[in-house]
Amino acid sequence: MTPMIDVVFLLIIFFLVSSHLAKQETQLEMELAGAASGATPEETNDRRLVVNVLPDEATGEIQVVVTGNVMNTPNLRSMLDFEVEQAKLEKRALEVRIRCDRRVPYHKVEPIMVTCAAAGVWKVTFAVLGE
Amino acid sequence: MRAATGHNDRKRLDVQMTPMIDVIFLLLIFFVCTAGFQRIENILPTHMTLPGQVQSDMPPVEEEFEDLDTIVINLRWVGDSPQWEISGRNYNSLPEVQSLLAAIATQVRSDLPVILDVGAVVPMENVIDLYDACRLVGLERVQFAASPETVRAATLR
Repeated sequence: MTPMIDVVFLLIIFFLVSSHLAKQETQLEMELAGAASGATPEETNDRRLVVNVLPDEATGEIQVVVTGNVMNTPNLRSMLDFEVEQAKLEKRALEVRIRCDRRVPYHKVEPIMVTCAAAGVWKVTFAVLGE
Repeated sequence: MRAATGHNDRKRLDVQMTPMIDVIFLLLIFFVCTAGFQRIENILPTHMTLPGQVQSDMPPVEEEFEDLDTIVINLRWVGDSPQWEISGRNYNSLPEVQSLLAAIATQVRSDLPVILDVGAVVPMENVIDLYDACRLVGLERVQFAASPETVRAATLR
């Protein structure tokens, strides 16, 4: 029995750890801004789209990255329209979470918020770090 | 790894160290791995509506509230530091702004809408700080002003 228990225990730990790491890897690494009034995100049934805004490592230019693709405003609009449509079909609310680097100037984030409002998405949240 | 035998031929009473070390080592690795060195992210909720474009589940603003004043905070970037302007007066530090907002929230009313008019080059860090300050003093209805050009560009299909 003992070696079998050893192996099974090891496998359990392996899968626990790898699933945990897989979850962490879905987030692009960036420096978020801090906020004392930030709320803990709750697990909801909402459809969620994460919009990352961060400077490109090579050029330093600000990029909008959604699901790994660099987006411009028309692209983002058509993606949001699609997401709104899907959410409506699934009868779920759509949440857009903006994860932006702290150094990103406001005029890069403003079009994203306006696009969300224009597409009829009213649930927009900013990702922040607790203080 | 040495298998534990259950009884000891030499009838020694000392604790078998190797399996214990095995287990403790495993537990240690488990907790180190699961602890994660990433800081937990929180969220700041916003309310988004564009005039004439409302298709949301949010209740519409009642008419009696529309007569009320709004607090418009103009956040600008002057030189290399932020500057806040509320109804014509300039403030150079966030704590000043926050105490003013706290006074408004407690003495006037706390459900006054706050409109943040942010300059183009202001880093998001300062925008988030201001938003956070509003929420901290109890002003929950924070909205962002958008320039007409941005709105036009974003709504053009």
